[in-house]
Amino acid sequence: MNRNGDTRQPGDSPAGLSIRESWAEWFDRHSRTFFIAPAVTLILIFAIFPTFYSILFALSRVKFSTTGLRFRFVWFDNFYNEFTGSEQGHFLGRLEGISIFGWLFILVVLAAVIWWLYWSFRKGTSWVGMTGRLISAAMAIFVAFLLGSTLLSGNLWGTLLTTLFYVIVGCSIQFVIGTGLAFLCSQPIVGKNFFRVIFFIPLMITPLGVGYAFRMILDVTKGPFQPFWKFVGLGNWAWSTNAWAARSFVVLGDSWQWIPFIFIIMLAALENVPRDHVEAAQVDGASSIQIFREITWPQIVPVAVTVILIRMIEAFKIVDLPNIMTSGGPGIATESMTLHSYFLWRANDMGSSAAVAYLLLILTVVVCASFFNYVVLGQLRKAHA
Amino acid sequence: MSDTSYKFEKANRGLLERLFEPPAIGQMSPVAKLVAYSLLTFWSAFVIFPIYWVVITAFKDAAAVNQGPYYIPFLDFQPNLDAWRVLLSVDPFCDGYAIVRQFGLLAHNSVAFLLQPLVHIEPMEPQICKIYLSFTNSLVIGVAATALCVTFGSMAAYALARIQYKPKFGNIVIFVILTLFLIVATSFFDIPWYVSSSVALALFFLLARVFGKRFKATLGNGDILFWMISQRILPPVVVIIPVYMMFQAVGLLDTHLGLIIIYAVANLPIVVWLMHDFFASLPIELEESAQLDGSTRFGIFWEIVLPLTGPGLAATTLLTLILNWNEYLFAVFISTSKAQTMPIMVAAKNAGERGILWWEMCAIIVIMIIPVIIMAIVLQRFIAKGVLLGAVKG
Amino acid sequence: MANGKPGVQVSFDKIQKSFGAVRVLEELNLQVEPGEFLVLLGASGSGKTTALRILSGLETATAGRVLIGDRDVTSILPKYRDISMVFQSYALYPHKTVAENIGFPLKVRKIPLADREVAVRDAAAQVQLDQLLHRYPRELSGGQRQRVALARAIVRRPSVFLMDEPLSNLDAKLRGHMRAELKHMQQTLGITTIYVTHDQIEAMTLARRVAILERGVLQQLATPAEIYNNPANLFVAQFIGSPPMNVVRGALEGKTFLSNDAKVTVSVGGRIAKAVLGFRPEDCSVVATAKGAIRGEIYTTELIGDHTLVTLKAGSDMLTVKAAKDFTATPGEKAGVAFNSSHLYVFDESNGQRVR
Repeated sequence: MNRNGDTRQPGDSPAGLSIRESWAEWFDRHSRTFFIAPAVTLILIFAIFPTFYSILFALSRVKFSTTGLRFRFVWFDNFYNEFTGSEQGHFLGRLEGISIFGWLFILVVLAAVIWWLYWSFRKGTSWVGMTGRLISAAMAIFVAFLLGSTLLSGNLWGTLLTTLFYVIVGCSIQFVIGTGLAFLCSQPIVGKNFFRVIFFIPLMITPLGVGYAFRMILDVTKGPFQPFWKFVGLGNWAWSTNAWAARSFVVLGDSWQWIPFIFIIMLAALENVPRDHVEAAQVDGASSIQIFREITWPQIVPVAVTVILIRMIEAFKIVDLPNIMTSGGPGIATESMTLHSYFLWRANDMGSSAAVAYLLLILTVVVCASFFNYVVLGQLRKAHA
Repeated sequence: MSDTSYKFEKANRGLLERLFEPPAIGQMSPVAKLVAYSLLTFWSAFVIFPIYWVVITAFKDAAAVNQGPYYIPFLDFQPNLDAWRVLLSVDPFCDGYAIVRQFGLLAHNSVAFLLQPLVHIEPMEPQICKIYLSFTNSLVIGVAATALCVTFGSMAAYALARIQYKPKFGNIVIFVILTLFLIVATSFFDIPWYVSSSVALALFFLLARVFGKRFKATLGNGDILFWMISQRILPPVVVIIPVYMMFQAVGLLDTHLGLIIIYAVANLPIVVWLMHDFFASLPIELEESAQLDGSTRFGIFWEIVLPLTGPGLAATTLLTLILNWNEYLFAVFISTSKAQTMPIMVAAKNAGERGILWWEMCAIIVIMIIPVIIMAIVLQRFIAKGVLLGAVKG
Repeated sequence: MANGKPGVQVSFDKIQKSFGAVRVLEELNLQVEPGEFLVLLGASGSGKTTALRILSGLETATAGRVLIGDRDVTSILPKYRDISMVFQSYALYPHKTVAENIGFPLKVRKIPLADREVAVRDAAAQVQLDQLLHRYPRELSGGQRQRVALARAIVRRPSVFLMDEPLSNLDAKLRGHMRAELKHMQQTLGITTIYVTHDQIEAMTLARRVAILERGVLQQLATPAEIYNNPANLFVAQFIGSPPMNVVRGALEGKTFLSNDAKVTVSVGGRIAKAVLGFRPEDCSVVATAKGAIRGEIYTTELIGDHTLVTLKAGSDMLTVKAAKDFTATPGEKAGVAFNSSHLYVFDESNGQRVR
């Protein structure tokens, strides 16, 4: 039927007729490359290359001169410095005089880890798996050693343990509170959307701002809680001179900022539990607690472990809050490894700065990869099998 | 066969049950309601209070800040605009035309930068209202970085979702070796970086071709995706010193372009992770039918796939924009005066000798927060629909 | 009748339900006999699922009472109503085994493990699932999952079964098989069952009585036979029956139904300007134009296998007639429809009611 004077007939443009190649054709044929090239190039030049370049810094002593930078190759000196040399106290903490409790703790952990390795070996884990487990085990024993020598022996600890403190204690608190809030918001309450929006906001404020805000608020003499501090007899207390108080307040600020992240994702997960399942349990007579424990929680565990992993990855990088709230003090009590690296850079010790940065990278990778392999994969396997 | 029937007996409900059980499905028991609302209200207060405190501090004067806590404007203290006056008028030229001048400055310097190899144009000095400078810088850098990041990131994510890549493991090894060679050459043997880079690049293509056939082991899409997403684990401190050196060598220090690039790279993993999930969940039949109709791959991407992932794309863009807006670490290393962003200005109010000028600092924080809160409200709506949930589940 | 345990009566007493301004159920009055299999039949939006959920306690009625046995359960939580429900999606807990799924209602009531296991095994045996007790739902087929849901419903021996379109997710062949199983099981256990569906075949085959709902209003409550042969209104008449009942629009004058192409003698009288004549495809035949009460032309013929379905165009109406399997005709041929039974129905078009 010719409607618009269209005189084309079936068969007029047979397949295979070559059209003059145009730009668009050429782009399309090479679209494989063009789509992914920009992202890959950017990452290669500005992330991978600098990472390798950093190795050079970490393995040298760097000096500024009139012609630019002078590198003096010193192999692993910078690293030895951190672990056994002048920086040991800064990085690891004071390791002398380990108490009985310390030794006991270290031995218990050592035994548990060795038993775990043995059991994995007997179970028939592959060689790759065993290597991974050995690395995780080494890290676990090392951290246990540090804990035993510092915390349990009355010694000060260094930036490595401070960072781990922020990550592990911080993430646990944030997860518990965040999930609790999400659970409350998933109940039939009035004003759900209002709470949602309000609870979401702290995540979006620059960490710098959060640091300064909390510094202001926690100020004992001029902050809004001054009457409270006076009431409990701490009217002149400078919390920034107390190591544990300072650390706790940093975790407080960090939690204020990051609980929304956990909240928002866990809330979405809770709301995605099929309503049918909950109703079936209600008809069968289960109470709210039973429903949460037996029906809801098992279904949100995969999301829960994933969100903990993501939070942990970000938490290792913490720098703004300790910097602003206490400048890493008192002494080095609240200094995270990123802050440590930053201070070294400011002191023009670029080699050590890069070394500490690399140690942070290694720490992050080992802890997160271990968590991912043993916890996340385990849960995902259970859910999808 | 058991004949017993298992029942709950309503008559046996004690006080405890009446308190703790909901009166009907879809409602909460009295105790639960009490606990829930009080906890939620407490947490809302906990969330709002710091923001409230910052906002009112922006309207206090030195005395009101330093002489103890004042809580309610007009009742406890007189709000005044000291901080705002300092921000907006003590700096010279802080008038209405400052914004226009600011963009003019930006345009002038961008053109000068682009034409650098050909002709040298004197860049304009930013002796303009500091607050406008940092605001426009934050805005321009944030938006540009987000645009770059989302564009490249979605393209890469789409490619990884639809095209099968098989990068050769051998090529990767060659790349790593050549990178190390490049670093050593530039740093220890003082070969100019453009020479050693070109040589390394040329060598790479040569060696890839020669050895390509020998080593057959390949990686897959999953590996590439994992590699891209795991860049997020990289602490910025590892990267920042070399990037500083690199930018210094090319003249990108304290420029907008430098910050835009580094911000884009920092947030690329998030964009790729989220968008890949969206693209992978689209039914492939739509794209196949478009292919039969003769559309190019980019055409399909632009006309069919992107519109379908509308909410996901919007949510990802907003998230990236907020992250770029708040970024501080890179800015503090790379920008010194011309490319200062708002977080730097906030930190600058920590003036040292005079102590922290809290009221001025809070004023800047307030200016920073307002756009973010608006964006956050919009973003929250997307997340509420479970838009980003799929990515987290996988 | 089984196990010596009599079923209980279930009543809807003036139940109304509105969601905001939208009225979903209009004053529903319904009594279900003890041990009866009642089907709530209707299209989507008819209110049938809402009525079921009100009965279960998952929704609260805006007005009216629900009685189970002689207890007023209107404001009582589902768990005290002694009911079980089978959901359309089965609602099997994915992280629990089949045995744990079936035993969940007992676990919730803190029945000791030993008794629980006995009851679970009994229930599983009744639905032929005893070999699959240790599997997970994701490893089962659709039909098996459906049986797990059934087993979970019967393990407690409740007073009432509620089923919300349990067969709609199965393929046609399996559906037929499960229908028979379901009917047999209900008859053996003798538990009062209320079953919601939109599929008229399920309603006709399973129910002792059918309650048809449309837009929240009960259209007719009767046995399948009654509904088929004695529909109360035009909606019921056209909803039940496949292919659907033929309708011709015209007027009723005395005992004659008249339209442009039809002149039919009927058994009811009256004077209705806008009337509708209804008759089923199997109650008529295709004849020569002159001999037919309705005149039209052949539109298409479709061979079903054991009969041929003939579609005729009469004026603006399309009529379907079941003819013999060797019937042939050419489209466009003029033909007529003759009636070979007294199953002719006349409806008043203004209110859809049947004229008796």
